[in-house]
Amino acid sequence: MSDTQTAEVPPIHQRTGGDTVRTVVRGVGQLLMTLGIVVLLFVVYEVYVTDIFGHQKQAEATTEVDQVWASSEVGSTSTVVVDDPDQLVTDPRQRTPNYQPLLGEGFAKLYIPAFGADYVFTVVEGTDPDDLYIGPGHYANTQLPGQEGNFAIAGHRVSKGSPFNDLGLLASCDAVVVETQDDWFVYRVMPMEEEVANWGSTPRAHCDSVGVQSGIFDGVYGREITVPADYDQVLPVPHSASTEVPAGAQRLITLTTCHPQFSDLERMIIHGVLVKSYSKSAGFLPPELGES
Amino acid sequence: MYVWIWRHLPGPTAVRVVESLVLFLLVVALLFFVIFPWLEPYLPFDRAGV
Repeated sequence: MSDTQTAEVPPIHQRTGGDTVRTVVRGVGQLLMTLGIVVLLFVVYEVYVTDIFGHQKQAEATTEVDQVWASSEVGSTSTVVVDDPDQLVTDPRQRTPNYQPLLGEGFAKLYIPAFGADYVFTVVEGTDPDDLYIGPGHYANTQLPGQEGNFAIAGHRVSKGSPFNDLGLLASCDAVVVETQDDWFVYRVMPMEEEVANWGSTPRAHCDSVGVQSGIFDGVYGREITVPADYDQVLPVPHSASTEVPAGAQRLITLTTCHPQFSDLERMIIHGVLVKSYSKSAGFLPPELGES
Repeated sequence: MYVWIWRHLPGPTAVRVVESLVLFLLVVALLFFVIFPWLEPYLPFDRAGV
């Protein structure tokens, strides 16, 4: 600030020192209020506006995968409708994926009956921000649904359709059902850490095929809270850094999302294990979808 | 800033109110469709992967 400089310029308006101070104070005040409003608008954008965009993208992906599945139905000329679950039960070892997931495109649908009969999301390939904007995204280096190893998916908790907002409400043995081109795969959430001690002595519904993990899977629980860098959670044997699928590995599903809600300082991980699979048939829905 | 804008808006008061509302909505649209989508990846709110 140089007083000599302003003194040389002939004043155009008669402004007093008080006017200048008032203008500066008013300008700073308006700037701060504007910034506050912009921050509030960002919250509105993140929590509501991205949800609208996300639902649109999800609807497009669902339409596309429905078309792909409809065009691949070669054997649908049969007039005999098979809807008896027992007749459609398959051995996952006999099922090989008959499709090739493409980045950013849907290839499976995820149902979680505990979240309501209308809870279904089309899962896309890839976990880039663009992929996750569409819906839950499959970690491209992990296994496909039903395979030995780990079918791992990431999803947003808040914003962009919020597919995984309620993962904190999942209980052990809740069904997580995955539909692919030709198959239904029914996974169930593993025992929680606090339930392990008296797992065998407590009767639980739907838990016949779900047990406490042992051997190389010791310490894998239904829900884990971890740090964002914990990539081992999505590997064939969670907590072990190898990408190799060991002989006799289990068929797992892993869901990851941010934690706590409205933050991404940590990650919430859900581990489930395959308990049943069905081949798809016109008009047939797995009975597990009716659980609530 | 807002006083300056108000002074430069043409028309009587009622028209100026409508004009300022339109200006506000334009700014909101710019934020929602251009600035926030660009800014978002740099902010630590919604990264879900490991």
